[in-house]
Amino acid sequence: MQTKRTIFPNKLLPYILLAPQLAVTLIFFIWPAMQAVKSSFEREDPFGFKTTFIWFDNYKRLFADPSYINAAGNTFVFAISVTVFSMSLSLLLAVAVNRVLRTNRLYTTLLVWPYAVAPVVVGILWWFMFNPSIGIAPYLLRGLGVSWNHRIDGSQAMLLVIIAASWKQISYNFLFFVAGLQSVPQSLTEAAAIDGAGPFKRFWTIVFPLLSPTTFFLLIVNINYAMFDTFGIIDATTAGGPAQATNILVYKVYADGFLGLNIGSSAAQSVVLMLIVIVLTAIQFRYVERRVQY
Amino acid sequence: MATINLVDLKKNYGSVPAVKGINLSVKDGELIVLVGPSGCGKSTLLRMVAGLESVTSGRIEIAGRDVVKAEPAERDIAMVFQNYALYPHMTVRGNLEYGLKNRGTPREEIDRRVKEAADILEIGPMLDRKPRQLSGGQRQRVAMGRAIVREPAAFLFDEPLSNLDAKLRVQMRVEIRKLQRRLKTTSLYVTHDQLEAMTLADRLVVMNNGLVEQLGTPTEVYDRPATLFVAGFIGSPPMNLLPVSALDAASGFDILGLPPGTDVVGIRPDHLTLESSDEPSLALPATVELLEPIGGESHLHARLKNGDHAVILSVPGRPEIEEGATITIHVKPADLHPFNRESGRRTDTAVANP
Repeated sequence: MQTKRTIFPNKLLPYILLAPQLAVTLIFFIWPAMQAVKSSFEREDPFGFKTTFIWFDNYKRLFADPSYINAAGNTFVFAISVTVFSMSLSLLLAVAVNRVLRTNRLYTTLLVWPYAVAPVVVGILWWFMFNPSIGIAPYLLRGLGVSWNHRIDGSQAMLLVIIAASWKQISYNFLFFVAGLQSVPQSLTEAAAIDGAGPFKRFWTIVFPLLSPTTFFLLIVNINYAMFDTFGIIDATTAGGPAQATNILVYKVYADGFLGLNIGSSAAQSVVLMLIVIVLTAIQFRYVERRVQY
Repeated sequence: MATINLVDLKKNYGSVPAVKGINLSVKDGELIVLVGPSGCGKSTLLRMVAGLESVTSGRIEIAGRDVVKAEPAERDIAMVFQNYALYPHMTVRGNLEYGLKNRGTPREEIDRRVKEAADILEIGPMLDRKPRQLSGGQRQRVAMGRAIVREPAAFLFDEPLSNLDAKLRVQMRVEIRKLQRRLKTTSLYVTHDQLEAMTLADRLVVMNNGLVEQLGTPTEVYDRPATLFVAGFIGSPPMNLLPVSALDAASGFDILGLPPGTDVVGIRPDHLTLESSDEPSLALPATVELLEPIGGESHLHARLKNGDHAVILSVPGRPEIEEGATITIHVKPADLHPFNRESGRRTDTAVANP
């Protein structure tokens, strides 16, 4: 890669120019992260008077805790479902919009709106629509013979948060897919058409492989989103219930730390999440630049 | 092995006509070059034959079958694109095989054809590489290979050489010609480069504004351009087009006997000479403005004394002439191409203009 090199006459100047960004990063990112790591090795007494250093006790306890294992399982189901669901739906929409020439702007604009909605509002929106007492969806579902009550039924609750979280993410994925599709040269699909490939075959053998950088990028981003950015949706829609059925890792950090006031365990959980993010990011950087090239 | 017939083919984009009624029959095994300035409709025409553009009206027959409604895959054609359109995620072999696999060709047959094409084009050692690892010329060969393995009824070339540098372009031009001679596959070739058109074509179609200006062999088109447009487009440096008034004072004008209706006269730069010959000729006094030596010959830019018209002469060698010198330019009456400005046509014996 080619980089522009700037030569500074003064040795101090580059550091001064970097200082604001470094300060922001240190104060708002590195320091809190270090605090979390530190807290994860400590136990605080119930009144907050003193803390004891207890090595890995918080972690040991965490991995022995069935509710933590349950939350990890929920997170797995939730993240995979949201990623698959939102990505496949947005790819479908993007392909459809890419075929429409004249009104494609209009569709794109409309489809991007959900992304501007705050996660908590998304949660409330879907909570409202699926509210067992006043929502429209349970009413309609009753007509089909389905009894909807996500307050009692854990799988229904999970389905609800998956739908809500996917709905919000579709816009984002859609934008990237549209951009990705538009960068696939028209002549390639034309060549494939002359080469005797039907529309489906063209898509799967030519267009989809050429989209792979976009797809891989979105895969990582979506897993990240489902695991970490869906706190607001979970909190507003189900608050982790019923009976822990929608309690995902990031929500448990909040519930244990801020509601349960178990700072040590909460800190340990957030350190685990931090490690997951680091791994995902590493995969992304490694593979987006290597594997996915054609 | 097939003929291609275009019958009154038209294409409109909305209310804008791009192709305004083309009639053309390509004989079996013939290479026809469509040449014209950008926006003349030549690429649109080719894409209509390929099935990539819809047809507004008219008929396209490939091997005697009307294919206007047929999918590109059903037309038994192969196309070489300007940007080659190689599938970047497949190896060269994958690119060659793709069209055959889609048609359910048996494995041995695929291998045989790929090997044959690779031998013809000398791309054997590159079969397992990806297109991005190839140079421009190699990509061009692979694109040709992808067309060859299909063994189609017709090849369509859409400016296949315009992304290559000048030297490679000449080389590939020769190879395309040899290949086409060898395979004897009916071909339509689109280019905006008149030199490419002249050297490649069995017959040449000069297009302008969505219409055919002239159809003929390269020599016919060069020696007897049917219209003012063709006269100015084919040939480099271009033909000098002078109003008759620029000549009428010259000695020898009386013997010309220009056909009635002539108001413009075209003269090729190499038909203007500095020495008078034995035959009766027209003598035009002029001033030299610039002498461009280009190797074996020189281009002499001059201005006629009568009427202040710029002319270009192509003269052999490097004549010793000072810029600003006064010269007399000679031209034989037989080398004049008479035109009428309003109709844009030749005024001597009518040349059929389809």
